Amino acid sequence: MRKLAVKKITAALLAGVMVMSLAGCGGKQKSTAIGADGTADTSKHEVINMLVLGDKPSNGRCEAMLEKLNAVLKEKVNAELKLTYVEWADWQTQYNVQLLSGDKSLDIITTATDWLYAWENTQKGAFMPLSEDLLKVYAPKTYQQVSSMDDWKYCKYQDQIYFIPEDHYTQYTNHGLFYRGDWAKESGIENGDIKEFEQIGTYFQWIKDHKEGVIPWDIGGKINPGGLLGGYLNSKTDNIVIPSVNVGNYEFWMGVSKDDPFTVTSPYMESDTIYDAAELMKKWNDAGFWREDVLNYDGDCREAMYAGTSGADEHHSQTYYSKIRPSMDRKQPGSDAKMYWWGTENNNVSKPLKTHGAAAISANSQHPERALMVYDLLRNDETCYRLINYGIEGVDYTITSDGKLDHPEGWDKSKDSLDSNYWCGRNDDLELQDVQWWDGTKGMIDMYNTFAYDNPYTGLVVDKNSVEAEMSAMASVLSEYIPQLAYGKYPDPKKAVDEMREKLKEAGYDKVKESIQQNMDTYKAALGK
Amino acid sequence: MSLKATLKNQKVQASPHRKPIGRVIRDNRILMLMCLPAVLFFIIFFYCPLPGVYIAFTNYNFRDGIFGSPFVGFKNFEFLIKSGQLWALTRNTVLYNLAFILLGNVLQIILAIMVNEIRCSWFKKVSQTIMFLPYFISAVLIGVLAFNILNYDTGALNALIRSAGANPVKIYSMAGIWPFIIILCNIWQQTGYGSIVYFASICGIDSQIIEAAEVDGATSWQRIRYIILPSLKPTFIILMLFALGGIMKGNFGLFYNLIGPANSQLFPNTDIIETFVFRTMMNQNNFATSSAVGLYQSVFGFILVMFSNWVVRKIDPDYALF
Repeated sequence: MRKLAVKKITAALLAGVMVMSLAGCGGKQKSTAIGADGTADTSKHEVINMLVLGDKPSNGRCEAMLEKLNAVLKEKVNAELKLTYVEWADWQTQYNVQLLSGDKSLDIITTATDWLYAWENTQKGAFMPLSEDLLKVYAPKTYQQVSSMDDWKYCKYQDQIYFIPEDHYTQYTNHGLFYRGDWAKESGIENGDIKEFEQIGTYFQWIKDHKEGVIPWDIGGKINPGGLLGGYLNSKTDNIVIPSVNVGNYEFWMGVSKDDPFTVTSPYMESDTIYDAAELMKKWNDAGFWREDVLNYDGDCREAMYAGTSGADEHHSQTYYSKIRPSMDRKQPGSDAKMYWWGTENNNVSKPLKTHGAAAISANSQHPERALMVYDLLRNDETCYRLINYGIEGVDYTITSDGKLDHPEGWDKSKDSLDSNYWCGRNDDLELQDVQWWDGTKGMIDMYNTFAYDNPYTGLVVDKNSVEAEMSAMASVLSEYIPQLAYGKYPDPKKAVDEMREKLKEAGYDKVKESIQQNMDTYKAALGK
Repeated sequence: MSLKATLKNQKVQASPHRKPIGRVIRDNRILMLMCLPAVLFFIIFFYCPLPGVYIAFTNYNFRDGIFGSPFVGFKNFEFLIKSGQLWALTRNTVLYNLAFILLGNVLQIILAIMVNEIRCSWFKKVSQTIMFLPYFISAVLIGVLAFNILNYDTGALNALIRSAGANPVKIYSMAGIWPFIIILCNIWQQTGYGSIVYFASICGIDSQIIEAAEVDGATSWQRIRYIILPSLKPTFIILMLFALGGIMKGNFGLFYNLIGPANSQLFPNTDIIETFVFRTMMNQNNFATSSAVGLYQSVFGFILVMFSNWVVRKIDPDYALF
């Protein structure tokens, strides 16, 4: 009996293996020759598929725009553009799965070295290497623009270019806390300007005491498990976050300071500041500045702030001047929404990476040349640029007499926005100033420009392969401790931090640190410093 | 039981003159056709992906593919041990499942007997339907319901406690209470549905036996104790063995929706292999490591099934699955 069963199982296994190996014989992709004569052959019509991040719009505006855009693209390069969306629900997983699946229909991929895993995916072979010749021939304007700023070096892995940086577009993506200036003023803070991290507590306490039904910061810990810890470290230490080496969801590895950026450290392990942060968060949790069950809550904090039931929200400067401030002025008139950016007190603010947005060509793209041609037009051709970014003139947007961007009467951002989510090739030369953005936008950017420093890690590539197991183990330790530290759930935060440190050590902290330091040294040497 | 016995008898009779395989297929073609979908299902979804297990031993990148990626041996498994949670995860998964299986089956039997004793037919139907309902409520909804009942600030339970003048309880910070909540939710969801099988076997008991017992003056309790319960034993054991096969598999939907990805206060008592793998995947996008955890889970589960089957066979070979 048993023998028979074993035989049967073996047979079934074998059959399975055989079916699999047959199915495994997929076709290999053909490589396309590069046009040597300098003129591209566009006799065959091609569909260029671009991967963008964001929720797929359903108001028909984007489709209408694409129809117009495709007419232009067909005439110029005999191609049409299709957009594939990676939606915000589970976007990290969705994005990487989409790339890992080796989808042959993708051509242009929106990526970024700090938040969209560009280096990881380069190492995993998701992107096609782009030779300078290829770029010169098929994306000449882009090539010239990036070369003029000498930014290709930031996109190289093992001496090959893998993506095109969105390096001529000004934005500030440093994070901070949005709060209401009117309430801050009433709480006794001078001018309602929060200048120091601790003043957030004063503001929150005032809300707690005076505004019934308002939660000072109605955040959901499921969405933001790190809470304000990172902000505290940013404001109280000179450490600079090293992008693209997050441990789990947390920005863990940092450089010591802008004067000594090439020494790797982690305040979570090596600074006493984390004790203060944890103590403060416990105090704030006990005071009820967020929901008691914050770690199981996943409501929308921003909507709550718009509705006046949350006193604060957290995100970056561009969100503040493009969305929060104008929306708050409309929905909560007189609220005087302000932003306390991390690093207000110590000017520890880094400019965004040149590769905070970038375009890569999929390794499986069937027509990379045409994809580059389309990208070159989207980035540099005024007609195409306005279509993909703003939509159809007169329907989606209008241009004011002084050349600013406005929208037609009755246009409602929440219903009518275009959502083409073209974040991989915006261009200051063609960008229009939006009249609906906060009118203090320029002032805020100018203010940042006076003290923000260039991110020292733009071209840094960290090879994580050798320490993947340790990083995973560390991530699982962090996922246990950080949410509870960030929302003050440990009765004895100091003890918890010490425990966390011990476990991180066991997980291989020293080995990972050494490995990142090695990459850093190589990078430093390459920069010639 | 009876089906199994007949099958065995047939085998005994057939063995001296074994029919050629072609003949067997022809004679039973309708039966064969009926089980074809199930066979195909298992081949396609369970056996075909088996070679993919190899991912667990590689440093996977998709340009080289599953079999082209560099082989790294047991490196991916190191992480499981380094995280120091392997033991806790295994313990949680197994204990939760044991509780679900044992408690669940006992309650299902009790429920089936109770329903069987109801004489009023409309009440019987109504109560069966109501018990059936929770099975069709999705885990997402259960998570939302639980949060709205249990949360500190606005939850129904704490509102009740507050209005009674007592101190509200921080349920989402009390790890110790969650095993009970999770088991309760699982049982609430599964019992009505699971009792159907037992109810069916009770209906299958020869009514003459029960009538004879009644004539002899047996009370309801005696009927249950000496007729119904013993007749349910084979069903109970077979269901139990089937359930043991899945003892390393957790009810991901229920756990994830009740606990969520961030509330690590509760993890020591509520983290099972599935939720742990999911978080690692989400955080690290590390397919090789999650395959490694999956493989560990399968191998451990396989050993467990073989072992329990062996134990059952020792006790009574008739009840063993194979």
